[in-house]
Amino acid sequence: MFVNKSMTRKVITGNPEMNLIEARELMIEHQIRHLPIVDQENRLVGIVTDRDIRSAMPSIVLDDYDSSDERKRLSGIRLENIMTRDLVTVSPMYTIQDALLLIQKTRVGAFPVVDDEKRLIGIISIRDLVRAFINVLGIGEPGTLIGILVDQKVGQMKRIVDAITEERISFGSILVARYWEEEDKRAVFPYLLTNNVARVKKKLQDMGYTLLDPMEWYIDKLPGNE
Amino acid sequence: MRRTGFVYDERFLRHKTGPYHPEIPDRLVAGYKGIQEGALLEHLTLIPAVPARQKWIESVHHVAYILRFEEACLYGMTEFESPDNQMCQESYDIALLAVGGILAAVKAVMEGEIDNAFCPIRPPGHHAEIAKAMGFCYFNNIAIAARYLQQEFGVERVGIIDFDVHHGNGTQHIFEEDSSVFYYSIHEHPSFAFPGTGREFEKGANAGFGYTLNSPMLPGQGDDEFKMLIERDLIPAFGTFQPQVILASTGFDGHRDDEMSGINLSTECFSWIMERIMQMGDQYAKGRVISILEGGYSLARLPELIRNHVAILMGR
Ligand SMILES: [Zn+2]
Repeated sequence: MFVNKSMTRKVITGNPEMNLIEARELMIEHQIRHLPIVDQENRLVGIVTDRDIRSAMPSIVLDDYDSSDERKRLSGIRLENIMTRDLVTVSPMYTIQDALLLIQKTRVGAFPVVDDEKRLIGIISIRDLVRAFINVLGIGEPGTLIGILVDQKVGQMKRIVDAITEERISFGSILVARYWEEEDKRAVFPYLLTNNVARVKKKLQDMGYTLLDPMEWYIDKLPGNE
Repeated sequence: MRRTGFVYDERFLRHKTGPYHPEIPDRLVAGYKGIQEGALLEHLTLIPAVPARQKWIESVHHVAYILRFEEACLYGMTEFESPDNQMCQESYDIALLAVGGILAAVKAVMEGEIDNAFCPIRPPGHHAEIAKAMGFCYFNNIAIAARYLQQEFGVERVGIIDFDVHHGNGTQHIFEEDSSVFYYSIHEHPSFAFPGTGREFEKGANAGFGYTLNSPMLPGQGDDEFKMLIERDLIPAFGTFQPQVILASTGFDGHRDDEMSGINLSTECFSWIMERIMQMGDQYAKGRVISILEGGYSLARLPELIRNHVAILMGR
């Protein structure tokens, strides 16, 4: 669950002396939206985004890109003049959870990953995090999600996991929702790698658990989505 | 009245899945009982099942996979590739027999001996991938039938309608790049039900883009939503595609009394979809509809569901 396992290692970079046109073409060629700028020692000095480039080019230029006057003017703009220097970086030992929370907090779509000497070793983007999270959820594999309402008491999770394991069903993932209508309850969502859940559902009900109505699942109940 | 073929063989009951499994021989016994009670049996054309030739299994599945399955059975393994796939020593032979019966039905339809057919076979097939058994399925029966139609009878456009409550991942993947087979599925939404595929945005790939169509249903939605989606998605798609033969992956596990799902369909709704399929069959495919059983686990409901299904095929 660390950034260095999920990040993109082959980073396309620019340098401060590069001009706007070169940067734009580089980003289009590699289909990237974030261009980290490094010095000769591969130390991160800034970042240029596709938005920075667009705002440095008047919209008319996008159509009239080849007119030589404009080209000349744009090739005079060096990245060191437009790049963001005050940027958010993460360390390779940040967790995926850190990166997710940081994206929510900063509204930035990609973070350069740097070592202790500020040298660029990768980049982690929303795309990388989505891939990691699909893996965590287990939803790349066939299975069935069930929802169980659980009292917040010690040992509940073990009972559930044991009951499911006894049925020889393997887990893709288990989510536990922190918030529920009732303070002392938790909603537990095992993603089970099977098509055969009728029996285990009955068993859980016989053990006294309430199965959640799938249409009342947690996603709609999380706070902060006004 | 139509001449309806009926692929039934007592040996389909010999695929045993152990004591804790929903896909059991009694499902077929229940369906047979419904057909008998409806006094339909004597009007059906019984089609004997003979084992399919390996060639046809290989038209969909990898040779190494077929061998793996055969060996697992020979060695008496009771499980294949996942605890979902419980089986017995005879399962491989029965799976071959199921495919063979279906191909015999397809042949009889194409040669005009019968108008349409119902194939209540076991094991089911629509989850089976090219090289992987999944969700109680080993050979993808309906996919093999489609290949047989193409290769043996030169059919250029095969329409598959999968109304089992689970998405037919295997069938979709086998044909996702093939524009000559249209795969339509209506099922419980993959975020709530097995197998986790069949999302609205899955529409095929490359040359097959636009020839896969999925209508996921949310838990708790019922007949009205089901009918609306069929009218909105399937009917216009098949109107454009004009299938020359229609194959149905018939699953009754969306019924409200079936513990495998939560989309609450009524018995009447299953008659409705079959009547709709028959109308399309007449419109585009000279009535050539071959229905192949997938899921459906409510032993209490299967007699009426299968009786109605067969009566509609027969035009009674
Ligand atoms: Zn099913």
